[in-house]
Amino acid sequence: MDGALLSAPSRVRTAEAEGALFAIAWRFARRELRSGTPGLRIVIACLALGVAAIAGVGSLASAVLEGVRSDGRRILGGDVEVSLGSRPAPPELRHWIAAREGQVAEVVEMRSMLVAETGARERLLVELKAVGPTWPLYGEARVGGESAVFAALAPRGGLPGLAAEPLVLARLGLAPGDQVRLGEALFRVVGAIEREPDRVASPAALGPRVLIALDALPASGLIRPGSLVRYDYRIRLPDGVDPEGFVRDLRAAFPDGGLRVRTYAEAAPGVVRFVEQTALFLTLTGLTALLVGGIGVATGVRTWLQARQHTIATLKCLGAPARLIFATYALQLGVIAALGIGLGLVFGAAVPVLAAVGLARVLPVPLAIGLYPEPLALAALFGVLAAATFALWPLARARDIPAVALFRDEVARSQPRPRWPVLLVNAGLALALAGLAVAVAQDRRFAAAFCAAAAGTLLLFRVAAAGLAALAARAPHHLSPALRLGLANLHRPGASMALILVALGVGLSTLASVAMIEGNLRTQVTETLPGRAPAFFFIDIQSEEADRFDRIAASVPGVDRIERVPSLRARIVAVNGVPAEEVRATEDTAWALRGDRGLTYAARPPDGARIVAGSWWPEDWRGEPVVSFDARLAAGWGIGVGDTLTVNVLGRDIDLRIANLRLIDWRSLGLNFTLIASPGLLEAAPYTHIATVYAAPEAEVGLLRAVTDAMPNVSAIRVRDALEAVNGLLGRIGAAVSATGSITLVAGALVIAGAVAAGRRRRIRDAVILKTLGATRGQVLSAYLVEFGAIGLFAGLIAALVASAASWAVATYVLRADWVFLPGTLGLTVAACTGLAILFGWMGTASALRAKPAVWLRNE
Amino acid sequence: MDAIVYTARAKAAPALGEPIVVARELAFTVASTAGEVNILRGVSFDIAPGEAVGIVGPSGSGKSTLMMLLAGLERPTAGTVRVARHDLGALDEDALARFRRAHVGVVFQAFHLIPTMTAEENVAVPLEFAGRRDAFSRAREALAAVGLAHRLCHYPAQLSGGEQQRVALARAVVAEPALLLADEPTGNLDLANGAAVIDLIFDLRARLGTTLVLITHDPALAQRCGRIISLADGRIVSDRRVG
Repeated sequence: MDGALLSAPSRVRTAEAEGALFAIAWRFARRELRSGTPGLRIVIACLALGVAAIAGVGSLASAVLEGVRSDGRRILGGDVEVSLGSRPAPPELRHWIAAREGQVAEVVEMRSMLVAETGARERLLVELKAVGPTWPLYGEARVGGESAVFAALAPRGGLPGLAAEPLVLARLGLAPGDQVRLGEALFRVVGAIEREPDRVASPAALGPRVLIALDALPASGLIRPGSLVRYDYRIRLPDGVDPEGFVRDLRAAFPDGGLRVRTYAEAAPGVVRFVEQTALFLTLTGLTALLVGGIGVATGVRTWLQARQHTIATLKCLGAPARLIFATYALQLGVIAALGIGLGLVFGAAVPVLAAVGLARVLPVPLAIGLYPEPLALAALFGVLAAATFALWPLARARDIPAVALFRDEVARSQPRPRWPVLLVNAGLALALAGLAVAVAQDRRFAAAFCAAAAGTLLLFRVAAAGLAALAARAPHHLSPALRLGLANLHRPGASMALILVALGVGLSTLASVAMIEGNLRTQVTETLPGRAPAFFFIDIQSEEADRFDRIAASVPGVDRIERVPSLRARIVAVNGVPAEEVRATEDTAWALRGDRGLTYAARPPDGARIVAGSWWPEDWRGEPVVSFDARLAAGWGIGVGDTLTVNVLGRDIDLRIANLRLIDWRSLGLNFTLIASPGLLEAAPYTHIATVYAAPEAEVGLLRAVTDAMPNVSAIRVRDALEAVNGLLGRIGAAVSATGSITLVAGALVIAGAVAAGRRRRIRDAVILKTLGATRGQVLSAYLVEFGAIGLFAGLIAALVASAASWAVATYVLRADWVFLPGTLGLTVAACTGLAILFGWMGTASALRAKPAVWLRNE
Repeated sequence: MDAIVYTARAKAAPALGEPIVVARELAFTVASTAGEVNILRGVSFDIAPGEAVGIVGPSGSGKSTLMMLLAGLERPTAGTVRVARHDLGALDEDALARFRRAHVGVVFQAFHLIPTMTAEENVAVPLEFAGRRDAFSRAREALAAVGLAHRLCHYPAQLSGGEQQRVALARAVVAEPALLLADEPTGNLDLANGAAVIDLIFDLRARLGTTLVLITHDPALAQRCGRIISLADGRIVSDRRVG
């Protein structure tokens, strides 16, 4: 041993001595690593899995966002997009753009009913897109096998062309050449839309896409005063022109608040938001997997160090200071951790490539395949912190145990806690891990809540394990041998019950929580909402047709109730004079500041309206324009009664003072409006009516035909179809989240496998002795099954509790709905936990039952 | 060693005169990379109820293997062995386990206590598997009989070597077996503890009337048995009565 180490006073450690100690530690570490990593494969696997999950999510999100960024022009359909809502661009705007040599593609979008003029004249709500001759400015579109789209849509035989998504053709039984009706005009089907490059920028939300030429739109009669139509102008700038500069100049030239302008850098803000929010949740789920894996790290390190007790004791007996022991094994663990983290990064970096192959049809934008250092570095940092957090305690205990105690059995060996500086550092590492997760999250409050919930769940299971051990210790002696032995195994010294319970429980808690939340959402969508929802929303009802609409709808047998209100589109452009883009709104209320909102006017409050602040205006009010506003939005924006909203309606800014706040129950699916203005101002504006009709299911087909045949310009949104679409989306989201959540279960399985493997020799030895003493194989197996069955059952019950609490919190505070108890899901959770635990127990026990006693009992 | 108080219990035994152990042409062969190894080559002997038999021989002579065969922990390659009227060759693994807990007690050189069970639990195990409701009270009695009434809740690692072997002995006799097998029971003990354990073995044997088969390297210890069977190279080279 180096004399410098022994002779240096403990308080005077020169850099030279420290360097020498480190050099010796590294030499010893390399010697031990020569024999490989047989006891640390679980540590490597646990780290690799957790790091791979985080790196994979981050890399995939980066690939999607980079894909959006680098392909922004194609996605947007131009360098810049100008939208005036439901107004076409005035001539001066077109001249201004033309003067700057901007090439413009005009796109008009609205919803309409497409009626097949063949067979049973089936009809379908579609998202109509009328495009000009220069569309698309970027990317290639293809319809019916032709890339010259405008030419393909040109009239032939007197009928303009129409292309539709394959879904439309299939639903309506259409083939190229068939005739369809849009509004009052007939069209000729040219074929399917094969490629629509700017689809993501203006997604088809309520129905499949249908494409026509812009010059065919007027004949359809769909564009009427107040129609819910949107005019977008995609602009391709000359080379070298900065889009940001162009936008600044445009806003300065046209300060009209109703102008919405975005560059290709904001081509798909919805996709970006979705990706960021999804990446946040999936990253946190990956972090949970890393936390569970951390348990495997701690256990693996402890087992590995226990196997080296004699080596450590020998070194200490030979004079190695505790610091040298710590450094030697810390260095080895550092190498192992680097290996595990490295493996995780390799797998994580490969995720975009795998996703490009496997998810190409599902992803809204093409992935930009590449290596993204930032998410990889973040994942590596998570891995390092997790490894350090979970390995420090067993390392410190190995450092502090006196040499003589290392020669005793596991039961007799004193197991001191590490010293308080180590505990402080360990706590600091744990906080750093949580702090990093919060610091890098888009939504820090959510991340903090998630971390707290994860830590709380880990702690809950740990406490539950102690509770189960205490309960098992009180089991009476007169139980059957298998039952007593199985329960006694739960609280024996060195038992791995706590480890298995935590690892299994956290994994299944994650999956069960996702299932319960999804189940509650689906119940809302498929059962609760349809029970009180209308059968149809009818939009674009012209004022002069309103009474006729009422008569037609009421004449259909099975129609219970018709509600109809005037409807305009408005954009909130300022709040108390602050421009909308500068308003500090909470994440869950910021949506209302983007895009158009529904606006209506009324003399009386809607039936069932809950006014929570202020008061309604008199019926004959003709004073300053006032508005009834959504109470939750007001809370999110920090405004209240007396504040002013500036809305742009058809190009005109109107100030509306908030007279009262309403608590809106959107779940009723009734005619709810964010903004209800006082009468006297908007009646003169061109508006349409929107109506809801409540009808028996068997009346829906007849009602749809009656209205749309008589009023071709009216569009019908079948609520059942919309809810089914939402249900389908929930299913896909739930599957994706469950897939990621299952990584936590895999991490738990690794931990359990490690625990079972670590205890294998002990189990075999115990089984041999028990058989020698007269236990049949059935009795030995039964004892183990009781042990693991009890663990699984207890873990399942706790997991069911956690899942119930999580889903209750989401239902109550996020969905603001009544929580639904799902006994099937909870029962499946408990059964899965029990079954998995028994399976693991069986895998660890089978070899013990087969062991030959003589081999283990011989003296020679 | 304090005086031992142990309540003798009547035990059914083979019919008067019928041997408790009947071994005929016992052979045991193992395969190895160097070819087959004949550990026992046609060993035959009888042991009468209540006898104390010492098995001696050099290392590798087959002593421990013979003990394993008598306990049903190994199956002979050839020959037969009957213990307490049970043909061990005809029993399956579970039947052998039931046989052992009813008729055989084994004391190993390495004690082979279950480290995560207390002394009381270790001793109670055979009776628990036999479904005895008084398993733990009997275990306490057995531990008291070997002078360990004050160590009921101690784990093996908290006991000295001599104490661990006494626990193992209590475990071996708690079910009052007809046959007690002891394989070098003092091999891991110092002289004083070893002598104490041997005294206990013979004392319990005398009180219970148990048949004892004791494997030992110690000629003096073998002399305490009434009969000595010497093994060499897998064969019985002598079988003589002493004293």
